[in-house]
Amino acid sequence: MTAERFARQSFLGADAEARIARVTVGVPGLGGGGSHIIQQLAHIGFQRYVLYDDDVVEESNLNRLVGAEARDALAETPKLHIAKMRILSLQPHAIIRGYACKWQEKPEPLRECQIVMGAVDGYRGRRELEIACRRYLMHYIDIGMDVHGDERPVIGGQIILSSPCGPCMTCMGFLTAEKLAAEAARYGNAGGRPQVVWPNGALASTAVGLAVDLVTGWTRKNRSYAYLAYDGNEGTLTPSKTLIGIEKYVCKHFGDTDLGDPVSIPL
Amino acid sequence: MDYPRAQTDELKPYCTKLSMFTEGGVPFFSLEGLRLPAGCQPQVCDALLCPVTRDNYPSRLYLSVKVKSLYDRNWNCENARIGEKNWFAFSWKVEGANLTLAQMLMAHLLGFTKEK
Amino acid sequence: MTVAIKMTGRLYDEIRRDLERPHPFAHERVGFVFGRISTRDAGGKLVLLTRYHAIPDAQYIDDPTVSARIGPEAMTWAMQAVYHGRAAREGIFHIHMHGYAGETGMSKTDRREIPPMMPGFQSVGRDAAHGIIILSLDHGSGWVCLPGNATLVPCGNIAVIGTEVKIFEKGRTS
Repeated sequence: MTAERFARQSFLGADAEARIARVTVGVPGLGGGGSHIIQQLAHIGFQRYVLYDDDVVEESNLNRLVGAEARDALAETPKLHIAKMRILSLQPHAIIRGYACKWQEKPEPLRECQIVMGAVDGYRGRRELEIACRRYLMHYIDIGMDVHGDERPVIGGQIILSSPCGPCMTCMGFLTAEKLAAEAARYGNAGGRPQVVWPNGALASTAVGLAVDLVTGWTRKNRSYAYLAYDGNEGTLTPSKTLIGIEKYVCKHFGDTDLGDPVSIPL
Repeated sequence: MDYPRAQTDELKPYCTKLSMFTEGGVPFFSLEGLRLPAGCQPQVCDALLCPVTRDNYPSRLYLSVKVKSLYDRNWNCENARIGEKNWFAFSWKVEGANLTLAQMLMAHLLGFTKEK
Repeated sequence: MTVAIKMTGRLYDEIRRDLERPHPFAHERVGFVFGRISTRDAGGKLVLLTRYHAIPDAQYIDDPTVSARIGPEAMTWAMQAVYHGRAAREGIFHIHMHGYAGETGMSKTDRREIPPMMPGFQSVGRDAAHGIIILSLDHGSGWVCLPGNATLVPCGNIAVIGTEVKIFEKGRTS
């Protein structure tokens, strides 16, 4: 690989490629959102990956799964394999640890990451991932999209940065007791939710931009949180209204005792 | 949230080891070696009692395994990750304000032996 | 056995602010930082640093033969902190800074003076990891005594999880 490879991203800083190459990024979930994310990470130059997905390509995935081809649906190719091939085609020396399971079934490798980029299903899944990221000190960048309404469909979504010492997804008003309760009442079944490629792309791209900024600091914004609400009908990303006054917040949901393995108090 | 010593002491006879932790601001009582009602398979397992409202349940008992019992239950919570372990719970709502922790635990264990 | 250390950006900034302050007579400042040990993949260990203790000026000993020497009150405080941190398996790390850029390691004085502290910490906090961290202006190195093992193991990397992620690895500066 020559210096020419990254000539167009020199504005990220003189040592950006070296910094990017040293980061270990975790991506639990390699579906519509995750597949976009890993492709962009590979393009930019990330070299170290911890990936999880226990699923295979189906025909219904082909409308959005980046890297998947029609033959992969016939062959039921594991999504993990698609992701690995995509990364290696751009970064042949990448170090990829991939697990064909949910991250909760093998959580230890994820703890080595500095940044976790999640496109997981459901609020409960996001809560669990955020807790793990707070425990083991990882920036957590979450993306998600949804389509609601039959008569007049509305595409919505979010990109959230939840960082250690910063406000969490509950502080930022994304995770609420009501949403978790409603999801639990549906038995957590997300069902076959509408999913399309272009919102995934918009969300994944912005999320990767946040990750690159965390590594290189090129914007000098020193972000410790973000919650961008996506309006897919208007094509806009705007800071969520729930962030009003967030600067004064001290997160009450994660304290010192939540760092590392749980500390149980004997009774 | 503090729980009176008298209440936590009442939980001890039901398990081999009792402790407590919080996660994301939510308290959990860890009951290692919880003895389950007759007819359950296994007879003993680890459990977490969450005494506060969470995910549409006023309180909840999570178990380290899916337990077979007299009645088929809807295990609508599988591999919930709490305290860096995975837990299971079935759909069983325990209503009633001001229950003691032991009363809460008993009400949840009734889910194994009571039809509805 | 591989070991990695992580800390938040906030903690790193707090440590740097304290260690970079001038001392009335010592050439360097010293502090203690606490950490909890967790498991990584393939049996490796992860130490998560939790909080920092700045050693008061009055607890240094004026010894012109070394860059910094801390007195018995500082060590007594440290041992008591290890004792009280046992339930959380919280161990203690001696931390100081070398005022140059680039990869750093233990000086001759560091090697002579700091490792002998470890057995004392281990005897009080048996289930915790204890060790040594040395920062430079743009790098850091660490050595860890894992529970039940008297040998200081070099850390694979130190990661600062802040608004800018920093990763200090052997052979590479941040």
